[in-house]
Amino acid sequence: MGKDTKLILDPLADNNPITIQVLGICSALAITAELEASIVMSISVLFVLGVGNVVISLMRNIIPSKIRIIVQLIVVATLVIIVDLVLKAFAYELSKTLSVFVGLIITNCIIMGRFEAFALGNGPWRSFLDGIGNSLGYAVILIIVGFFRELLGSGTLLGIKILGDPVAKTGLYAFGYENNGFMLLSPMALIVVGIIIWVQRTRNKALIED
Amino acid sequence: MEKRTDKNSYTVIFAIGMVLVVGALLAYLASALKPMITENQRLEKQQNILYAMGINNNDEGSATFVSTDEAPELFEKYIKQQLVIENGEVKEDNKAYLIDVKKEQARAKNGKTRRLPLFVGEKDGKKFYIAPIRGKGLWDAIWGYVAMDENMTVQGVYFDHKGETPGLGANIKQRYFMDDFYGERLLTDAGVFKGITISKSNADPTNEDKNDYEIDAIAGATITGDGVTAMIKKDLKLYLPYFQNLKNN
Amino acid sequence: MEHIELFFKSIFIDNMVFATFLGMCSYLAVSKKVTTAVGLGAAVIFVLAITVPLNWLLDQYILQPGALSWLGEEYAAYDLSFLSFIMFIATIATMVQLVEIIVEKFSPSLYNSLGIFLPLIAVNCAILGGSLFMQSREIASLGLATTYGIGSGIGWFLAILAIAAIREKIRYSNVPPALRGLGITFIITGLMAIGFMSFGGMLTGGDEEGEALENKNGAQIKTVKDSSTTNEIANNTKVIE
Repeated sequence: MGKDTKLILDPLADNNPITIQVLGICSALAITAELEASIVMSISVLFVLGVGNVVISLMRNIIPSKIRIIVQLIVVATLVIIVDLVLKAFAYELSKTLSVFVGLIITNCIIMGRFEAFALGNGPWRSFLDGIGNSLGYAVILIIVGFFRELLGSGTLLGIKILGDPVAKTGLYAFGYENNGFMLLSPMALIVVGIIIWVQRTRNKALIED
Repeated sequence: MEKRTDKNSYTVIFAIGMVLVVGALLAYLASALKPMITENQRLEKQQNILYAMGINNNDEGSATFVSTDEAPELFEKYIKQQLVIENGEVKEDNKAYLIDVKKEQARAKNGKTRRLPLFVGEKDGKKFYIAPIRGKGLWDAIWGYVAMDENMTVQGVYFDHKGETPGLGANIKQRYFMDDFYGERLLTDAGVFKGITISKSNADPTNEDKNDYEIDAIAGATITGDGVTAMIKKDLKLYLPYFQNLKNN
Repeated sequence: MEHIELFFKSIFIDNMVFATFLGMCSYLAVSKKVTTAVGLGAAVIFVLAITVPLNWLLDQYILQPGALSWLGEEYAAYDLSFLSFIMFIATIATMVQLVEIIVEKFSPSLYNSLGIFLPLIAVNCAILGGSLFMQSREIASLGLATTYGIGSGIGWFLAILAIAAIREKIRYSNVPPALRGLGITFIITGLMAIGFMSFGGMLTGGDEEGEALENKNGAQIKTVKDSSTTNEIANNTKVIE
C-alpha cells in the first residue's frame, strides 16, 4: 500500500478520528438525529479540514510556536466565516441550511487536532490527503449513527418514510411497531457510538485497550 | 540555536500582522457583501410574511416559499397595510417589515418604547394580521411570523431559527409542526390572552382539538419548544390592545 | 436570587457536558484518573470564570450592533457581530497563554499540577461554547456573566470528576474486552446524561410560576379594557411587562 493511499484509508477504520482518536465528538452527538444533517456536516468538515490543513501546512514554517494554537483557531474561524459570508451573499438558501453548522465546525476539535498532529509537520499535499482521509473517517461514523438514529427514532431516512406512516398506521406500524423517540435524544448518540466502538474492536483485536 | 520563530519579537510581529490581515480581509468581505446580504434578508422577510398568511409553494410535505423573484410583487399585492404600533398609537409605514424585532426587544429592555410592526394582508376577501415574534431556543435565537384573524385565532405561522439542533429543535420549521397551529386560538372566550403552549403531555397528537391552547411538542426538542411557547406568549400579547380596539370599533 | 438561580441552572440543568455535549473531547480523553480530572476541571472553572465576563465586555462594547456608540454617535451604526467568533477565540487563547505564563512565574507548584492542562483548554469547545451561550442567551450584566462562567465551569468539573471516579472503579469490573476503555466510557456517559435529563424537570416549576404571573397580567389588562383609549392600555401593558 502506497504511503499516500494509507493517509486516506487509515482514518477510515483503524485510526478513525471519532472511535480511536476521540476527536470531534461534540458534533457527532449534536447533529446525528437526522441522516441528512450528518451528511451536510460531513461535507462541511471535508471542505474545512482539507483546505485548512493545506493552509496550516503552507504556514508551518512561519507560525511562532508560542502562539500556534491561536493561529490555528483563527485560520479555521476565518475560513468558516468567509465561506459563511460568501454563501449568504450568493447562495442564501444554502447558507441557511449550513448556518447551523458554522459554530459546530469552529469548535470541532477534529480540525484543531489534525492541524496540531499532522499539518504542522507535513507538506501541503500530504496534509491535504490527511484532511480528506480524516474527514471521511469522521463521515463514516456520523452517517452510521445518523442512519440508526433516524431510522429507529422517526422511522424515516432522509425524510422519506421507510417503515410506514405512524399516524395512519400503515406498514410496520400496522403490527403495533412504535418509533423509539429516545433514539432522537443526544444520550443515545453516545450509546450508539459506544456500540460502534464495541463492534469495531471485536473485529480488530489490536485496538483493544488494556 | 534558537529558532527564528521562537523569538518574542517575531511572535509579536507575527501576531500583529495576522490580526491586521485577518481583520482587513473580514471587514472588507463583510462590507463588500453587505448590500447583497441585506437584499437577501429583505426578500426572505417578505417570503416569511407571505408564507405565514398561506401564500407559498408548498407541495405534499415540505415547506416552500414563493420564489425570490415573485416575492416583491406578491408582497405588494397581498399585504395591504403595514402598521407600526408605538405607545398605543398606530401609524402606517411601508417599511415596517424592515423593523428589527431584536433591536426593538433590546430597546424595551432599556426602558424605551418598543415599536410593534403588524402587517395586514388580504387574500380571497379574508383579512390576515401578521405579527413577528422572536425568542430564544436551546442554542440561539428563534423567531417567526404569526398570521391571525381579528379574533386572534391563528391562521398560519412560519418559524425559523439560527442554530437549533438539526432533526430535533430545527424541526420547528417543518410543515408537520407549523401546520398544527392553524385554527388554534390565542384568546379565551372572555377575551383574555392565553397563548399557545407547546406541550409534551398533549393527548392530542394530530391536533384535532383547536380549543385546547396546546400544540403537540417535537420529541427531543423540549427547550426549543419551551422557547416557542415563550415567544408566542410574550410577543403576541403585546398586540392584544390593538385587537381589542379593532373589535370595539 | 437571580445569581443563585443562574448558578444552579448552569451547573445542573444546562450542564455543559450532559445537556449540550460540549467539551466532550477532553472529557473523554483526560478522565482516566481522578487526580488529572480534578486538575483539568479546576483549570476549566478558572478559565471560564475569566473568559466569559471578558467576552461579555467585548460583546457589549465592541461587537453588538450599536455597541460602539460609546465612541460617539457616528459609530452607533456599526455592526461588528461577524467578528464574534474570532474575537472570542482570540480572547480565550490569549487568556490561556497569559494565565500559563503568570502561574509559571509565581506558583511553580500550581503550574506543575495545572500547567500541562492549560494548552489543552484553548481547544476545549466548552470554553468557546460558554462565551457563545453567554452571547446568544443575552445575559444581562457583568456579574451574571461571571456567575454563569463559574457555574458552567463547576458543572463541567462535576461531570469529569464523576466519570473519572467511575472509570477508576470500573477497572475492577469484568467489562467485555472490546468494550474496555473508550467504549464503556461512551455508554456510561450516555447513561449519566439520561440521568441528568431529569434535572430538566426543575425548569417546569419555574414555568408554572411564570404562567400564574402572566394570567394575573392578563386579568389586569382586562380590567382596564373598558376604561378608555388604546393608549392607556398600551401603557399599562408596558408597565406590567
